Amino acid sequence: MSKSYVAGTWALHDVSCTIAKGEFVFLTGASGAGKTTLLRLLFAAERPSEGRIRVLGMPIERLAARRVASLRRRIGVVFQDFKLLPGRSVEENVRIALDVAGVPSGESRARAFAALKQVGLQHRRHHEPLSLSGGEQQRVAIARALVNEPELLLADEPTGNLDPALTLEIFDLIAATAARGTTVVVATHDPAVLERYRRRTLRLEAGQVVEDRPGLGARG
Amino acid sequence: MAIAGSPIVQLRHFARSALAGLRASPLPAAIATLTIAVTLVLAGAFALLVRNMQGVIDRLGSEARITAYLAPGASDEALRSLVGQARALPGVAAVELVSPERARERFRKEGERQAALLDALGENPLPASIEVSVLPDHRSATAIASVAESLQGLAGVDEVSRAQDWVEGYARTVALLRAIGIGLAGVLGAATLFLVASTIRLALYTRRGEIDILALVGAGRAFIALPFLLEGVIEGLIGGVLAVATLFALWSAFLPSIAGGLELLLGGAPARFLLPAELGALVIAGVVLGGLGAALSLAGGWRR
Repeated sequence: MSKSYVAGTWALHDVSCTIAKGEFVFLTGASGAGKTTLLRLLFAAERPSEGRIRVLGMPIERLAARRVASLRRRIGVVFQDFKLLPGRSVEENVRIALDVAGVPSGESRARAFAALKQVGLQHRRHHEPLSLSGGEQQRVAIARALVNEPELLLADEPTGNLDPALTLEIFDLIAATAARGTTVVVATHDPAVLERYRRRTLRLEAGQVVEDRPGLGARG
Repeated sequence: MAIAGSPIVQLRHFARSALAGLRASPLPAAIATLTIAVTLVLAGAFALLVRNMQGVIDRLGSEARITAYLAPGASDEALRSLVGQARALPGVAAVELVSPERARERFRKEGERQAALLDALGENPLPASIEVSVLPDHRSATAIASVAESLQGLAGVDEVSRAQDWVEGYARTVALLRAIGIGLAGVLGAATLFLVASTIRLALYTRRGEIDILALVGAGRAFIALPFLLEGVIEGLIGGVLAVATLFALWSAFLPSIAGGLELLLGGAPARFLLPAELGALVIAGVVLGGLGAALSLAGGWRR
């Protein structure tokens, strides 16, 4: 599969790989190597210029808009900049994913509470995101990504704005999600994280996968 | 544009999201609402004027009387024969003979000046006449003209006069006013649509972060678009209700001072406010303007 934004220049070129169900995979490489583009292709924010991508059985290259929405309801996505709504409470931010899925109010509240408890923020559910620290905001974003029990969790530099202590806290949450059987793909260029978790790592350089290193740690 | 999940949950989300949107950008929403209201007040004022003037036409049209003035000196037998011939004409419902004496009495009763004029003349200058009522299915301008022409052709008829001539002139004025009203409503409506579309586009822009997040968590086009459409509809609904309230307030406040002028314009008939169905139509027009303006803006699409 290849992706080009400008004719003659490849953001991703001849990338070919398979990620098994339940696998925890790191994408690494320098800025501009193509990590974010690959993640965006995985949740159908982009379409490949050439080749095919199959995510949760769906062909991204020819997915209708309606099916993009249904694919995304099966995927949780976490970004470096959190992407939380400032005017809404922490609980409302988490419940957005449940509103979209049409979950009834009582169940939605209970599930949002459970997801916030999972990331240790249930006591902050009525606060606004801007009153939280960076680490707490990212934990809210993770709660939102996990509240629908996604089959696939994607994270793009989720700790890029956080200090090392908070970084480990966030990655422990992501690793715990993987341990419960969710397929996880995380883009990071933090060597400390790669060293600590030792999972399968795809290294990208100039839009190509130059290394596919198998994981050494426990699966999941 | 399928929407996943329970409709009640979705409706609650749409209503909450639309109201939050209106609260987030109160000024553009207020401008759009007031513009809709002003457009509807002007359209309603024209409708009010045209409706009352149309009432005059309907009333006079329904009377549909033709008066045939007779040549002087006709014998009683000739008059009876003329009445019989008039009754036999197609489209004629009834014929009434008005003697010169009765015509003079009627004229005298119209006022002191008329009575004084008759007294000054000494002798009765008014001719005998026959007043012809037309059947309801012969009250079109063409049918009335045809009856009048037949009457004119009868021996002993001097001159035929019909209120229809005046009614037609009045109807042309009403048609012109209606056309001006429709044209004005069209132009203002188009401008209002553009303004509502602009406010919704502004809302789309200011809330693009929310739209991105909704798309990210799997919201479909309809789920994202409907709150914005609902915002337009709410603006239209409020604008429509405001317009109706404004029209009623203006009507109540100014009717006493313009009642005289209106009576003259309406041929003595009392002026009437718009019917509940017409007021309802104004509110619906507001809803349509708001919804359509929002739909126009949404049709342009948004960044996903």
